[in-house]
Amino acid sequence: MNLEELLASETQTTKSDLSEEDFAKLLRKYKGLLKERGRDKAFWEATNENLKIAYGKLDEKERELARAYAIIQEDLTVGSQVQQALQPKATGKMAAELDIAVYHKQLAEVGGDYYDFFRTKNGDYAIGVFDISGHGVSAALVMTYLKALFTQIMETHVNPEKIVEEVNRSCFGFLRKVKKYATVNFVVFGPNSVTYTCAGGFGMLLRHREPTLFQKRDNFLGLREKPFHQHTLPFEKGDFLVLYTDGIVEAKNAHNEDYTVSRLNRLVSSAAERGVAEVVRICLGDYQGFREKDTDDITFIALQKKA
Amino acid sequence: MSRGGNAEELIVFGATILGFANACINLNIVAGSQATNLISGIEVNGWYPFTRLREIERMVVESYEKCGPIMERAGIEMMSIWYNAGPGKQIIKRGVEFLYFQSGSQGYASVVKGPKDQVGSFNLVEIDEKRGRALIHSTDPFDKDLERGVIIGGLAAPGDLDYIDVNNDEDPHHFRIEFG
Repeated sequence: MNLEELLASETQTTKSDLSEEDFAKLLRKYKGLLKERGRDKAFWEATNENLKIAYGKLDEKERELARAYAIIQEDLTVGSQVQQALQPKATGKMAAELDIAVYHKQLAEVGGDYYDFFRTKNGDYAIGVFDISGHGVSAALVMTYLKALFTQIMETHVNPEKIVEEVNRSCFGFLRKVKKYATVNFVVFGPNSVTYTCAGGFGMLLRHREPTLFQKRDNFLGLREKPFHQHTLPFEKGDFLVLYTDGIVEAKNAHNEDYTVSRLNRLVSSAAERGVAEVVRICLGDYQGFREKDTDDITFIALQKKA
Repeated sequence: MSRGGNAEELIVFGATILGFANACINLNIVAGSQATNLISGIEVNGWYPFTRLREIERMVVESYEKCGPIMERAGIEMMSIWYNAGPGKQIIKRGVEFLYFQSGSQGYASVVKGPKDQVGSFNLVEIDEKRGRALIHSTDPFDKDLERGVIIGGLAAPGDLDYIDVNNDEDPHHFRIEFG
Protein backbone atom coordinates (compact mmCIF):
# COMPACT_ATOMS: atom_id res chain seq x y z
CA MET A 1 0.00 0.00 0.00
CA ASN A 2 1.54 3.37 -0.95
CA LEU A 3 1.08 6.72 0.82
CA GLU A 4 -1.84 7.93 -1.33
CA GLU A 5 -3.75 4.66 -0.75
CA LEU A 6 -3.04 4.82 2.97
CA LEU A 7 -4.27 8.40 3.17
CA ALA A 8 -7.46 7.44 1.32
CA SER A 9 -8.02 4.42 3.55
CA GLU A 10 -10.39 4.60 6.51
CA THR A 11 -8.46 2.09 8.59
CA GLN A 12 -5.93 3.31 11.07
CA THR A 13 -2.35 3.07 9.80
CA THR A 14 0.95 2.73 11.58
CA LYS A 15 4.46 3.68 10.60
CA SER A 16 5.16 0.06 9.64
CA ASP A 17 2.50 0.22 6.93
CA LEU A 18 4.69 2.72 5.04
CA SER A 19 7.83 2.18 3.05
CA GLU A 20 10.78 4.34 4.02
CA GLU A 21 10.34 6.35 0.84
CA ASP A 22 6.65 6.98 1.58
CA PHE A 23 7.42 7.88 5.16
CA ALA A 24 9.97 10.45 3.96
CA LYS A 25 7.39 11.77 1.49
CA LEU A 26 4.84 12.03 4.29
CA LEU A 27 7.25 14.06 6.37
CA ARG A 28 7.98 16.35 3.39
CA LYS A 29 4.27 16.83 2.79
CA TYR A 30 3.77 17.62 6.46
CA LYS A 31 6.65 20.11 6.47
CA GLY A 32 5.31 21.62 3.23
CA LEU A 33 1.87 22.01 4.74
CA LEU A 34 3.33 23.65 7.85
CA LYS A 35 5.22 26.14 5.69
CA GLU A 36 2.14 26.80 3.59
CA ARG A 37 0.08 27.26 6.73
CA GLY A 38 2.69 29.71 8.03
CA ARG A 39 2.52 31.73 4.80
CA ASP A 40 -1.30 31.66 4.84
CA LYS A 41 -1.33 32.75 8.48
CA ALA A 42 1.04 35.65 7.76
CA PHE A 43 -1.09 36.68 4.77
CA TRP A 44 -4.38 36.59 6.68
CA GLU A 45 -2.92 38.30 9.73
CA ALA A 46 -1.58 41.07 7.48
CA THR A 47 -4.95 41.25 5.70
CA ASN A 48 -6.76 41.43 9.02
CA GLU A 49 -4.41 44.12 10.31
CA ASN A 50 -4.77 46.06 7.06
CA LEU A 51 -8.54 45.77 7.30
CA LYS A 52 -8.46 47.22 10.82
CA ILE A 53 -6.33 50.11 9.58
CA ALA A 54 -8.64 50.62 6.60
CA TYR A 55 -11.70 50.74 8.90
CA GLY A 56 -9.89 53.29 11.05
CA LYS A 57 -9.21 55.42 7.98
CA LEU A 58 -12.83 54.99 6.89
CA ASP A 59 -14.01 56.22 10.29
CA GLU A 60 -11.79 59.28 9.97
CA LYS A 61 -13.16 59.95 6.46
CA GLU A 62 -16.70 59.58 7.81
CA ARG A 63 -15.97 62.16 10.50
CA GLU A 64 -14.48 64.48 7.85
CA LEU A 65 -17.60 64.03 5.73
CA ALA A 66 -19.84 64.73 8.70
CA ARG A 67 -17.92 67.95 9.41
CA ALA A 68 -18.16 68.98 5.75
CA TYR A 69 -21.86 68.11 5.69
CA ALA A 70 -22.48 70.23 8.79
CA ILE A 71 -20.81 73.21 7.11
CA ILE A 72 -22.86 72.71 3.94
CA GLN A 73 -26.05 72.33 5.99
CA GLU A 74 -25.31 75.54 7.84
CA ASP A 75 -24.67 77.34 4.54
CA LEU A 76 -27.94 75.98 3.14
CA THR A 77 -29.86 77.12 6.20
CA VAL A 78 -28.48 80.64 5.80
CA GLY A 79 -29.15 80.44 2.04
CA SER A 80 -32.75 79.48 2.74
CA GLN A 81 -33.12 82.39 5.16
CA VAL A 82 -31.64 84.78 2.57
CA GLN A 83 -34.10 83.51 -0.04
CA GLN A 84 -36.97 84.02 2.36
CA ALA A 85 -35.75 87.52 3.12
CA LEU A 86 -35.74 88.24 -0.62
CA GLN A 87 -39.42 87.33 -0.95
CA PRO A 88 -41.37 90.46 -1.78
CA LYS A 89 -44.32 92.06 -0.03
CA ALA A 90 -46.97 94.09 -1.80
CA THR A 91 -47.03 97.67 -0.60
CA GLY A 92 -48.50 101.04 -1.58
CA LYS A 93 -50.58 101.16 -4.75
CA MET A 94 -50.10 97.45 -5.40
CA ALA A 95 -51.41 96.45 -1.97
CA ALA A 96 -54.28 98.91 -2.33
CA GLU A 97 -55.40 97.61 -5.73
CA LEU A 98 -54.76 93.85 -5.48
CA ASP A 99 -55.70 90.98 -3.23
CA ILE A 100 -52.71 88.64 -3.38
CA ALA A 101 -52.18 85.11 -2.09
CA VAL A 102 -49.01 83.15 -2.70
CA TYR A 103 -47.88 79.57 -2.21
CA HIS A 104 -44.13 79.29 -2.69
CA LYS A 105 -42.13 76.22 -1.74
CA GLN A 106 -38.63 75.16 -2.69
CA LEU A 107 -37.93 71.46 -3.00
CA ALA A 108 -34.57 71.78 -1.22
CA GLU A 109 -33.42 74.33 1.35
CA VAL A 110 -32.76 76.74 -1.50
CA GLY A 111 -34.20 76.54 -4.99
CA GLY A 112 -34.71 77.99 -8.40
CA ASP A 113 -38.34 79.17 -8.29
CA TYR A 114 -38.57 82.86 -7.66
CA TYR A 115 -41.15 85.60 -7.80
CA ASP A 116 -40.75 89.30 -7.27
CA PHE A 117 -42.68 92.54 -7.27
CA PHE A 118 -41.28 95.49 -9.20
CA ARG A 119 -42.14 99.06 -9.99
CA THR A 120 -41.58 100.46 -13.46
CA LYS A 121 -40.03 103.86 -13.85
CA ASN A 122 -43.43 105.35 -14.80
CA GLY A 123 -44.98 104.10 -11.57
CA ASP A 124 -46.78 100.93 -12.64
CA TYR A 125 -46.22 97.85 -10.55
CA ALA A 126 -45.19 94.54 -12.01
CA ILE A 127 -44.84 90.89 -11.04
CA GLY A 128 -42.23 88.45 -12.33
CA VAL A 129 -42.43 84.70 -11.85
CA PHE A 130 -39.31 82.70 -12.69
CA ASP A 131 -38.20 79.10 -12.72
CA ILE A 132 -34.46 78.53 -13.07
CA SER A 133 -33.48 75.13 -14.45
CA GLY A 134 -32.31 72.65 -11.82
CA HIS A 135 -32.61 72.99 -8.07
CA GLY A 136 -30.42 73.86 -5.16
CA VAL A 137 -27.63 76.33 -4.65
CA SER A 138 -26.68 76.89 -8.31
CA ALA A 139 -30.28 77.70 -9.26
CA ALA A 140 -30.62 79.98 -6.23
CA LEU A 141 -27.48 81.89 -7.18
CA VAL A 142 -28.71 82.34 -10.77
CA MET A 143 -32.00 83.57 -9.29
CA THR A 144 -30.16 86.26 -7.31
CA TYR A 145 -28.27 87.25 -10.45
CA LEU A 146 -31.52 87.60 -12.45
CA LYS A 147 -33.15 89.60 -9.67
CA ALA A 148 -30.31 92.12 -9.82
CA LEU A 149 -30.50 92.28 -13.62
CA PHE A 150 -34.27 92.92 -13.65
CA THR A 151 -33.96 95.66 -11.03
CA GLN A 152 -31.20 97.33 -13.02
CA ILE A 153 -32.86 97.06 -16.43
CA MET A 154 -36.22 98.37 -15.18
CA GLU A 155 -34.54 101.67 -14.61
CA THR A 156 -34.38 102.18 -18.39
CA HIS A 157 -37.31 100.15 -19.84
CA VAL A 158 -41.06 100.02 -19.09
CA ASN A 159 -42.50 97.50 -21.57
CA PRO A 160 -42.36 93.84 -20.52
CA GLU A 161 -41.04 92.67 -23.90
CA LYS A 162 -38.20 95.18 -23.80
CA ILE A 163 -37.38 94.46 -20.17
CA VAL A 164 -37.26 90.70 -20.72
CA GLU A 165 -35.40 91.09 -24.03
CA GLU A 166 -32.76 93.28 -22.41
CA VAL A 167 -32.38 90.91 -19.46
CA ASN A 168 -31.97 88.02 -21.90
CA ARG A 169 -29.38 89.96 -23.90
CA SER A 170 -27.44 90.73 -20.73
CA CYS A 171 -27.53 87.25 -19.20
CA PHE A 172 -27.48 85.11 -22.35
CA GLY A 173 -23.73 84.44 -22.49
CA PHE A 174 -23.51 83.76 -18.78
CA LEU A 175 -26.49 81.38 -18.70
CA ARG A 176 -25.07 79.45 -21.66
CA LYS A 177 -21.75 79.20 -19.88
CA VAL A 178 -23.24 77.83 -16.67
CA LYS A 179 -25.68 75.66 -18.67
CA LYS A 180 -28.78 77.17 -17.09
CA TYR A 181 -31.94 78.68 -18.43
CA ALA A 182 -34.96 80.28 -16.83
CA THR A 183 -38.64 80.65 -17.58
CA VAL A 184 -40.07 84.09 -17.02
CA ASN A 185 -43.62 85.33 -16.81
CA PHE A 186 -43.46 89.08 -16.48
CA VAL A 187 -46.65 91.12 -15.97
CA VAL A 188 -46.94 94.91 -15.79
CA PHE A 189 -50.20 96.22 -14.30
CA GLY A 190 -51.67 99.32 -15.99
CA PRO A 191 -54.69 101.26 -14.68
CA ASN A 192 -57.22 98.86 -16.26
CA SER A 193 -55.08 96.30 -18.03
CA VAL A 194 -52.20 93.90 -17.73
CA THR A 195 -49.37 93.63 -20.26
CA TYR A 196 -47.32 90.49 -20.08
CA THR A 197 -44.43 88.65 -21.68
CA CYS A 198 -44.61 84.94 -21.09
CA ALA A 199 -41.45 82.99 -21.84
CA GLY A 200 -42.34 79.79 -20.02
CA GLY A 201 -44.43 79.47 -16.91
CA PHE A 202 -48.20 79.77 -16.87
CA GLY A 203 -50.81 82.49 -16.56
CA MET A 204 -54.59 82.60 -16.73
CA LEU A 205 -56.90 85.60 -16.51
CA LEU A 206 -60.51 85.13 -15.41
CA ARG A 207 -62.76 87.96 -16.46
CA HIS A 208 -66.50 87.59 -16.00
CA ARG A 209 -65.82 83.83 -15.48
CA GLU A 210 -64.21 83.64 -18.94
CA PRO A 211 -60.66 82.24 -18.84
CA THR A 212 -57.91 83.60 -21.08
CA LEU A 213 -54.65 81.67 -21.06
CA PHE A 214 -51.37 83.52 -21.43
CA GLN A 215 -49.73 83.08 -24.83
CA LYS A 216 -46.39 81.39 -24.52
CA ARG A 217 -44.59 82.24 -27.76
CA ASP A 218 -41.21 83.23 -26.44
CA ASN A 219 -38.08 81.28 -25.57
CA PHE A 220 -36.80 80.85 -22.05
CA LEU A 221 -34.10 83.23 -20.85
CA GLY A 222 -30.71 81.92 -21.92
CA LEU A 223 -32.04 79.78 -24.76
CA ARG A 224 -32.04 82.04 -27.87
CA GLU A 225 -31.19 85.63 -28.61
CA LYS A 226 -34.50 86.49 -30.26
CA PRO A 227 -37.02 89.31 -29.77
CA PHE A 228 -39.69 88.81 -27.10
CA HIS A 229 -43.37 89.70 -27.45
CA GLN A 230 -45.90 91.30 -25.16
CA HIS A 231 -49.69 90.99 -24.97
CA THR A 232 -52.26 93.22 -23.30
CA LEU A 233 -55.48 92.10 -21.62
CA PRO A 234 -58.11 94.14 -19.79
CA PHE A 235 -57.86 93.82 -16.02
CA GLU A 236 -60.53 95.58 -14.01
CA LYS A 237 -62.17 95.35 -10.62
CA GLY A 238 -63.15 91.75 -9.82
CA ASP A 239 -60.92 90.23 -12.49
CA PHE A 240 -58.83 87.30 -11.30
CA LEU A 241 -55.32 86.32 -12.36
CA VAL A 242 -53.19 83.29 -11.55
CA LEU A 243 -49.48 82.97 -12.32
CA TYR A 244 -47.56 79.78 -11.63
CA THR A 245 -44.54 77.68 -12.47
CA ASP A 246 -44.63 74.04 -13.58
CA GLY A 247 -44.24 72.52 -10.08
CA ILE A 248 -47.94 71.71 -9.60
CA VAL A 249 -49.03 70.94 -13.14
CA GLU A 250 -46.17 68.56 -13.95
CA ALA A 251 -46.55 66.59 -10.71
CA LYS A 252 -47.38 62.91 -11.11
CA ASN A 253 -49.57 60.59 -9.10
CA ALA A 254 -48.85 56.99 -8.17
CA HIS A 255 -50.07 55.87 -11.61
CA ASN A 256 -47.57 58.19 -13.32
CA GLU A 257 -50.37 60.48 -14.55
CA ASP A 258 -49.74 64.25 -14.85
CA TYR A 259 -51.70 66.73 -12.78
CA THR A 260 -52.09 68.92 -15.94
CA VAL A 261 -52.65 72.60 -16.59
CA SER A 262 -56.31 72.10 -17.47
CA ARG A 263 -57.07 70.50 -14.08
CA LEU A 264 -55.52 73.42 -12.22
CA ASN A 265 -57.19 76.06 -14.40
CA ARG A 266 -60.61 74.38 -14.04
CA LEU A 267 -60.18 74.36 -10.29
CA VAL A 268 -59.17 78.04 -10.25
CA SER A 269 -62.21 78.94 -12.41
CA SER A 270 -64.59 77.08 -10.14
CA ALA A 271 -63.18 78.57 -6.92
CA ALA A 272 -62.34 82.13 -8.02
CA GLU A 273 -65.42 83.71 -6.50
CA ARG A 274 -64.26 82.54 -3.05
CA GLY A 275 -61.25 84.86 -3.17
CA VAL A 276 -57.52 84.51 -3.63
CA ALA A 277 -56.68 82.84 -0.30
CA GLU A 278 -59.34 80.14 -0.81
CA VAL A 279 -58.21 79.52 -4.39
CA VAL A 280 -54.66 78.90 -3.18
CA ARG A 281 -55.88 76.67 -0.34
CA ILE A 282 -58.18 74.61 -2.59
CA CYS A 283 -55.63 74.22 -5.39
CA LEU A 284 -52.90 73.26 -2.97
CA GLY A 285 -55.16 70.71 -1.25
CA ASP A 286 -56.08 69.17 -4.59
CA TYR A 287 -52.43 68.99 -5.62
CA GLN A 288 -51.38 67.40 -2.34
CA GLY A 289 -54.11 64.81 -2.63
CA PHE A 290 -53.02 64.00 -6.16
CA ARG A 291 -49.24 63.95 -6.21
CA GLU A 292 -47.23 60.96 -5.08
CA LYS A 293 -44.38 63.18 -3.89
CA ASP A 294 -43.02 66.69 -4.42
CA THR A 295 -40.51 66.67 -7.25
CA ASP A 296 -40.13 70.36 -8.08
CA ASP A 297 -40.18 73.83 -6.62
CA ILE A 298 -43.67 75.37 -6.62
CA THR A 299 -44.79 78.95 -7.06
CA PHE A 300 -48.50 79.69 -7.32
CA ILE A 301 -49.81 83.25 -7.12
CA ALA A 302 -53.48 84.28 -7.17
CA LEU A 303 -54.41 87.96 -7.65
CA GLN A 304 -57.72 89.78 -7.75
CA LYS A 305 -58.25 93.40 -8.66
CA LYS A 306 -60.17 94.98 -5.83
CA ALA A 307 -60.08 98.63 -6.81
CA MET B 1 5.43 51.29 -25.49
CA SER B 2 8.83 50.20 -26.75
CA ARG B 3 9.98 47.19 -28.82
CA GLY B 4 12.57 46.36 -26.20
CA GLY B 5 15.64 46.21 -28.49
CA ASN B 6 18.62 48.11 -27.09
CA ALA B 7 16.84 49.70 -24.17
CA GLU B 8 18.40 52.92 -22.90
CA GLU B 9 16.13 52.91 -19.91
CA LEU B 10 14.91 50.17 -17.63
CA ILE B 11 11.96 48.49 -19.30
CA VAL B 12 9.75 45.56 -18.37
CA PHE B 13 7.75 43.14 -20.48
CA GLY B 14 3.99 43.86 -20.66
CA ALA B 15 3.08 40.30 -19.60
CA THR B 16 4.98 40.81 -16.33
CA ILE B 17 3.11 44.00 -15.52
CA LEU B 18 -0.20 42.37 -16.45
CA GLY B 19 0.69 39.30 -14.37
CA PHE B 20 1.40 41.42 -11.31
CA ALA B 21 -1.63 43.64 -11.88
CA ASN B 22 -3.96 40.68 -12.39
CA ALA B 23 -2.55 38.97 -9.30
CA CYS B 24 -3.45 42.10 -7.31
CA ILE B 25 -6.93 42.12 -8.84
CA ASN B 26 -7.51 38.38 -8.22
CA LEU B 27 -6.51 38.79 -4.57
CA ASN B 28 -8.71 41.91 -4.21
CA ILE B 29 -5.63 43.90 -3.22
CA VAL B 30 -6.97 46.55 -5.57
CA ALA B 31 -10.47 46.91 -7.01
CA GLY B 32 -12.73 49.20 -9.00
CA SER B 33 -11.24 52.04 -11.02
CA GLN B 34 -7.82 51.48 -9.41
CA ALA B 35 -7.80 47.99 -10.94
CA THR B 36 -8.87 49.25 -14.35
CA ASN B 37 -6.13 51.89 -14.31
CA LEU B 38 -3.50 49.27 -13.49
CA ILE B 39 -3.93 47.42 -16.75
CA SER B 40 -5.20 50.14 -19.07
CA GLY B 41 -3.01 50.54 -22.15
CA ILE B 42 -0.70 47.61 -21.29
CA GLU B 43 -0.23 45.08 -24.08
CA VAL B 44 1.01 41.60 -23.25
CA ASN B 45 3.87 41.70 -25.79
CA GLY B 46 4.84 45.35 -25.28
CA TRP B 47 7.73 46.79 -23.31
CA TYR B 48 7.12 49.57 -20.79
CA PRO B 49 9.19 51.74 -18.48
CA PHE B 50 9.87 49.92 -15.22
CA THR B 51 8.12 52.80 -13.47
CA ARG B 52 4.78 51.27 -14.57
CA LEU B 53 5.50 48.27 -12.40
CA ARG B 54 6.86 50.50 -9.63
CA GLU B 55 3.51 52.36 -9.62
CA ILE B 56 1.67 49.11 -8.86
CA GLU B 57 4.19 48.22 -6.17
CA ARG B 58 3.83 51.69 -4.66
CA MET B 59 0.06 51.44 -4.71
CA VAL B 60 0.17 48.18 -2.74
CA VAL B 61 2.78 49.51 -0.30
CA GLU B 62 0.82 52.73 0.24
CA SER B 63 -2.50 50.91 0.62
CA TYR B 64 -1.25 48.39 3.20
CA GLU B 65 0.82 49.26 6.20
CA LYS B 66 1.84 45.62 6.63
CA CYS B 67 2.53 44.69 3.05
CA GLY B 68 5.27 42.01 3.13
CA PRO B 69 2.94 38.96 3.25
CA ILE B 70 0.60 40.68 0.77
CA MET B 71 3.44 41.18 -1.72
CA GLU B 72 4.56 37.59 -1.21
CA ARG B 73 1.04 36.33 -1.92
CA ALA B 74 0.85 38.56 -5.01
CA GLY B 75 4.10 36.98 -6.26
CA ILE B 76 2.70 33.45 -5.74
CA GLU B 77 -0.52 34.39 -7.56
CA MET B 78 1.47 36.06 -10.35
CA MET B 79 3.36 32.82 -11.05
CA SER B 80 0.15 30.79 -10.89
CA ILE B 81 -1.21 33.05 -13.67
CA TRP B 82 2.12 32.69 -15.55
CA TYR B 83 1.92 28.90 -15.35
CA ASN B 84 -1.80 28.32 -15.88
CA ALA B 85 -2.72 31.15 -18.25
CA GLY B 86 0.67 32.14 -19.68
CA PRO B 87 3.67 30.39 -21.22
CA GLY B 88 4.74 28.65 -17.97
CA LYS B 89 3.61 25.13 -18.93
CA GLN B 90 5.68 25.28 -22.12
CA ILE B 91 8.80 26.35 -20.21
CA ILE B 92 8.77 24.09 -17.14
CA LYS B 93 7.34 20.67 -16.42
CA ARG B 94 8.63 20.27 -12.85
CA GLY B 95 8.94 22.79 -10.04
CA VAL B 96 12.69 22.51 -9.91
CA GLU B 97 12.95 23.45 -13.59
CA PHE B 98 11.81 26.92 -12.58
CA LEU B 99 15.09 27.23 -10.68
CA TYR B 100 17.16 26.00 -13.62
CA PHE B 101 15.33 28.54 -15.78
CA GLN B 102 16.96 31.24 -13.67
CA SER B 103 20.52 30.10 -14.54
CA GLY B 104 22.54 33.01 -15.90
CA SER B 105 19.50 35.23 -15.25
CA GLN B 106 17.89 33.94 -18.47
CA GLY B 107 14.37 33.99 -17.01
CA TYR B 108 14.85 37.47 -15.65
CA ALA B 109 16.49 38.74 -18.85
CA SER B 110 13.41 37.68 -20.84
CA VAL B 111 11.22 40.16 -18.93
CA VAL B 112 13.49 43.08 -17.95
CA LYS B 113 15.94 45.01 -20.14
CA GLY B 114 17.97 48.14 -19.71
CA PRO B 115 21.33 49.62 -18.77
CA LYS B 116 23.53 47.05 -17.04
CA ASP B 117 23.97 49.10 -13.87
CA GLN B 118 20.19 49.37 -13.47
CA VAL B 119 18.93 46.02 -14.71
CA GLY B 120 20.85 43.86 -12.19
CA SER B 121 20.43 40.09 -12.13
CA PHE B 122 18.32 37.26 -10.78
CA ASN B 123 20.62 34.30 -10.92
CA LEU B 124 20.61 30.70 -9.73
CA VAL B 125 23.93 30.53 -7.84
CA GLU B 126 23.82 26.94 -6.67
CA ILE B 127 21.48 23.98 -6.65
CA ASP B 128 21.57 20.52 -5.12
CA GLU B 129 18.51 18.76 -6.39
CA LYS B 130 19.21 15.64 -4.37
CA ARG B 131 19.34 17.50 -1.05
CA GLY B 132 16.59 19.89 -2.13
CA ARG B 133 18.65 23.06 -1.68
CA ALA B 134 19.28 26.04 -3.91
CA LEU B 135 20.44 29.63 -3.71
CA ILE B 136 19.36 32.53 -5.88
CA HIS B 137 21.15 35.85 -5.82
CA SER B 138 19.14 38.88 -6.83
CA THR B 139 20.33 42.40 -7.54
CA ASP B 140 17.33 43.37 -9.64
CA PRO B 141 15.01 46.25 -8.80
CA PHE B 142 11.95 44.15 -7.86
CA ASP B 143 10.44 44.24 -4.37
CA LYS B 144 12.08 41.39 -2.45
CA ASP B 145 8.85 40.18 -0.81
CA LEU B 146 7.24 39.98 -4.24
CA GLU B 147 10.30 38.16 -5.53
CA ARG B 148 10.15 35.61 -2.68
CA GLY B 149 6.53 34.98 -3.69
CA VAL B 150 7.60 34.61 -7.32
CA ILE B 151 10.10 31.87 -6.40
CA ILE B 152 7.57 30.04 -4.19
CA GLY B 153 4.87 30.38 -6.88
CA GLY B 154 7.22 29.27 -9.68
CA LEU B 155 8.28 26.17 -7.72
CA ALA B 156 4.72 25.34 -6.67
CA ALA B 157 2.97 25.92 -9.99
CA PRO B 158 3.56 22.48 -11.61
CA GLY B 159 2.28 20.82 -8.41
CA ASP B 160 4.97 18.13 -8.09
CA LEU B 161 6.75 19.42 -4.97
CA ASP B 162 5.57 18.49 -1.48
CA TYR B 163 7.69 21.00 0.37
CA ILE B 164 8.84 24.52 -0.52
CA ASP B 165 10.52 27.07 1.67
CA VAL B 166 12.17 30.28 0.52
CA ASN B 167 13.97 32.41 3.04
CA ASN B 168 15.73 35.74 2.61
CA ASP B 169 15.50 36.93 6.21
CA GLU B 170 19.27 37.22 6.66
CA ASP B 171 19.97 39.00 3.42
CA PRO B 172 17.09 40.20 1.24
CA HIS B 173 19.17 39.63 -1.91
CA HIS B 174 19.99 35.98 -1.19
CA PHE B 175 17.08 33.56 -1.38
CA ARG B 176 17.82 30.28 0.39
CA ILE B 177 15.52 27.69 -1.08
CA GLU B 178 14.51 24.29 0.24
CA PHE B 179 12.30 21.96 -1.69
CA GLY B 180 11.35 18.34 -1.94
